[in-house]
Amino acid sequence: MTAPAIAARGVSKSFGGVKALTGASIAVARGSVHALVGENGAGKSTLIKILGGRIAADEGSVETAGPSLRIGTVFQELTLLPYMTVAENLLLGREPRGRLGLIDRAAMPRLAEAELAGLGITHIDPRALAADISLAERQIIEIARVIMARPQVLLLDEATSALVEREVAWLFGQIRALRDAGVAIVFTSHRWGEITSIADEITIFRNGSDVGTFTTIGEDEAITLMTGQALETIFPARFAPSSGPVLLSLRGARAEGTAPLDLDLRAGEILGIGGLAGHGHRALFFGLFGAPGFREGRIEREGRPVRITAPWDAIRAGIALVPEDRKSEGLFLPLSVRDNFTLPILRQLSRFGILRLGAEHATVAESIRRLAVRTPSAQQPVGALSGGNQQKVLLGRWLLTRSRILLLYDVTRGVDVATKHEIYELIAGLAREGYAILFYSSDAEELAHLCHRVKVMRRGAFVAELPADALSAEAIVAAAMRESGQTETPHAA
Amino acid sequence: MRTLTVDTRRILYAIAAAIGLFVVGEMAHPGFLSGPSVASILVIASFVGLVAAGQCFVILIGGIDLSVPWVMNAAAILLTTTSLGKNTGAPEAIAAALGMGVAVGVANGIGIALFGIPAVVMTLAANGIVEGLTLGLSGGFTCSSCSSYAPPLIQTLAHGSLLGIPDALWLWAFVTALVSGALAVTRFGRATYALGTNPLAATLAGIDARRMTILLYALCGGFAALGGIMLVGFGGQASLGLGDPYLFTSIAAVVIGGVNILGGRGNYLGVAAGAVSLTVLVSVLLALSMPDYVRSIAYGVVILALLLAYGRENER
Amino acid sequence: MQPDAAALPRGSRLGHAIGQNIGLILAGAILALAVAGFLLVYSIEQHRLPGNFELTSTVNNAIPLVFAAVGQSFVVLTRGIDLSVGGVVDLANALAAVTMGKSLGGALLWSAVILAVGAACGLVNGLLVAFGRLQPIVVTLATLSIYQGLAIRVLPAPGGAIPPAYTNLLVNPNAPWALVYIGLLVLAWAGFRRSRTGVDLYAIGNDEASARALGVNVLRTKIIAYMLDGALAAAAGLFLAASATAGDATTGNSYTLTSIVAVVLGGVSLFGGRGSAAGAIAGAFITTLIVNILFFSHVNPLYQSFYEGVFLIVAVVLGGAIGGAIRRRR
Repeated sequence: MTAPAIAARGVSKSFGGVKALTGASIAVARGSVHALVGENGAGKSTLIKILGGRIAADEGSVETAGPSLRIGTVFQELTLLPYMTVAENLLLGREPRGRLGLIDRAAMPRLAEAELAGLGITHIDPRALAADISLAERQIIEIARVIMARPQVLLLDEATSALVEREVAWLFGQIRALRDAGVAIVFTSHRWGEITSIADEITIFRNGSDVGTFTTIGEDEAITLMTGQALETIFPARFAPSSGPVLLSLRGARAEGTAPLDLDLRAGEILGIGGLAGHGHRALFFGLFGAPGFREGRIEREGRPVRITAPWDAIRAGIALVPEDRKSEGLFLPLSVRDNFTLPILRQLSRFGILRLGAEHATVAESIRRLAVRTPSAQQPVGALSGGNQQKVLLGRWLLTRSRILLLYDVTRGVDVATKHEIYELIAGLAREGYAILFYSSDAEELAHLCHRVKVMRRGAFVAELPADALSAEAIVAAAMRESGQTETPHAA
Repeated sequence: MRTLTVDTRRILYAIAAAIGLFVVGEMAHPGFLSGPSVASILVIASFVGLVAAGQCFVILIGGIDLSVPWVMNAAAILLTTTSLGKNTGAPEAIAAALGMGVAVGVANGIGIALFGIPAVVMTLAANGIVEGLTLGLSGGFTCSSCSSYAPPLIQTLAHGSLLGIPDALWLWAFVTALVSGALAVTRFGRATYALGTNPLAATLAGIDARRMTILLYALCGGFAALGGIMLVGFGGQASLGLGDPYLFTSIAAVVIGGVNILGGRGNYLGVAAGAVSLTVLVSVLLALSMPDYVRSIAYGVVILALLLAYGRENER
Repeated sequence: MQPDAAALPRGSRLGHAIGQNIGLILAGAILALAVAGFLLVYSIEQHRLPGNFELTSTVNNAIPLVFAAVGQSFVVLTRGIDLSVGGVVDLANALAAVTMGKSLGGALLWSAVILAVGAACGLVNGLLVAFGRLQPIVVTLATLSIYQGLAIRVLPAPGGAIPPAYTNLLVNPNAPWALVYIGLLVLAWAGFRRSRTGVDLYAIGNDEASARALGVNVLRTKIIAYMLDGALAAAAGLFLAASATAGDATTGNSYTLTSIVAVVLGGVSLFGGRGSAAGAIAGAFITTLIVNILFFSHVNPLYQSFYEGVFLIVAVVLGGAIGGAIRRRR
């Protein structure tokens, strides 16, 4: 075997005491596509950043075939500059020069247009601001920018998360062409079908290190390796939904970028919402929580119409939202575990606006125990806890509000397997107690195993409802991806 | 040993700086640390401290209030012209001055929270508006009632003492207890820190960010007016530009008191210590008969030195 | 990917141009209104249109603010703010008054030195912001105090002298020659906008973390921005000294706040990454014209700052609303 184009050997990395990688190794040959698979938080993104030279490893080394190897990275978080044009973004750092060595701004759109056309992209206007194009288009531009720099090693971290089938096919065409030209490609994805269709080699990650590299491997075996246990044991045992009363109904509720939506959520059931990122799930969940509220339509709480125009309306109506991005939307990282737990229930814990600290202390201690939050004390800044424990604090906050309707928006993202398991058990337990749970996840497997039924969203509308007996990850993905020859973007004017 | 939090250590730094400066003053000018000398320095510091209390509230949510100088000035002239130097009109005059400050603060808060105007722009414009109105209505402080004195009641509050401690310090101690307590153990305090740490998450946790923002700017306006009232009580008459030095000093006191200019972190005890530090610094330089420009430079250097020290803390 | 012509409407070039320069267009509109307002008030009052004298004095009054505002815009584009502008203007003004003496040659030589001092002041700000990782607002608040102190040290009482030839060169009272400097400033800006540093400046203001990930040298770019800002603030101080034909270490104080006002009126976003020097120049002229309009409409000068404050709020709120509406329509 020839020397690899790029290899990581025994790489470790910690962030603020939390180990992201422990002794991970991979080797990628020229002209091959290497997929990294593993749970969220298994260390794939960290390894990609280390391979790309964005961050330095604490231990171990990265070896490359040459000192001046060109490495291009498509990051999971988009890096397009919003108030610069597509052309300015594409050509950043290699702008065409005109007279006096100055950048020829007038030539940039034409140059960008030509380069995009060379990659088969003709539908994105290089004169538009990056902020004005759709999420999928931004991801495509992000990929195009990296490819245009002619990398010898191409690192793609979740580069397909916002793309539909046709766009994924375009990307894979590009990847195959680059591979045939001798580029070494590293690739992460959550979609198993994509991985098997493009990868020459698959390395499986668990808890920050590689646990095996394969040329072919079945999905079940891969999942067992990724999680350290068989799929069945991660998820709680299935149980029938108690056919309780309908706690929450939507009738023709329309948020920005969605169609009018109808929905009934019963006590004791976990209703899953599936579909690809950027297809209106967020607008649905945040609309129910009044942030911002729906533009039209009705929300009924146990048959009675309620007005929800702000989060406090939702909280008063007994609705809780656990958002996906706990760092920016959920938690107050520098503030204590205590402060994070009790913010929405301070009214109950105070008299004339003054906090009853004893009662608060007891409440927080009880929550820490109930959710098994691993923290040295209630005074600890919540940012010092691990991702899983942070998520428990956030969930615990909303359980304290005694809301009976829980909107859980991708709550297991970036959480380790053990904690995931605990969160699943918790959710199932809550449903058995009679909570009504609306559950969105970007992980179809999770939806299929945890929910009693799943509604699939595409372009802002419900396009399918899968009952318990028809539930599978494949069925959810198939419903989400089914093309219908309509327009590309849900909110094109 | 229990490790101290970063916030606690910053407060200790600010207090240590104040004490250190007192000691330097005593060495440079024996008698600096005598009771009357310390008391008079603290009284001056209390004016800064009152204004900085308001500034602290808005900086805790990542805002800033540049309208402080003319709110103080307007409060001062409003107090003297409505009371005409008589105790009988004092309550109404105080209410009018404080009400004016709160009203300007509410307007600031509305502009920032409801119309999305950047705090720097809104409060800068408000300062101009209050300045123009104050100057215009008072004919540039030339009106017949403009030369009135502050009511004796207020003058006593600024100059008198109770149990050997100046009244102004009793007031400041009361305000310190109130503000620190409000920030530490009330719903209002928790909401303030939450909003300053992460406005989106605070909104999603049910906090009415707009109402809180308006409330905090209203408090800031009220405290600036209170500062103006005390200052005119201390000086006797309202003078043009009386509030000008307090814009810079109030922000500086808040910042060296360990409050993060981006919001979310800090405590009024540190701010009070910051107000004392800045005032002692000026007094020391005066005692050393340093010219004005040295004071100005020393101010800047001390602020930068403390900020760089705090910055190191963050890198841990 | 297959082009999907029917489904993918493309904005017209004009549409893009309007959407991307909305701040500048609004600033231009406000400037046009201000000019019209001035012409109206002036002609009603004086029964004739303003002539060469009025044009010259308006340009000469505006030019220090033009330079200070363009300097401020460099820093604001990086999502910073510079409160020390006033201190640098003071320092340059004071230095000019004590050093220039009688000859034009000496004055020009000292001008170069003073511009370098301004750049050095900016360098200190830039180093503290970039390497000290302190917030621009507190750094420049502290250095404002330091620079003001230095200015008073240099020139304790108003005085000194500026050679008349220097005044004639910078702010000729007989004809609006100072427009030449504004023209040069615009040219220099156009060049800067087309340089590596110019592009990087916008990238940082758009999203500093992304810019860093894309290989932009954030530290270097920020330091350059603060240095250019300092040099332009010093230039403002020179123009101010030339106008007054003497120095005063405190007249520059107001430029901290007026430069921010001019930048905001000129459509430069205080959140960074959007706006241009052309906007800042327009903003500086708007600010100057408002003062003229108030003067000629016989508004009680004591109320001047009231009207300026009201105007600022109205302009920002209306500008935001119109800009938002246009962006949404597209």
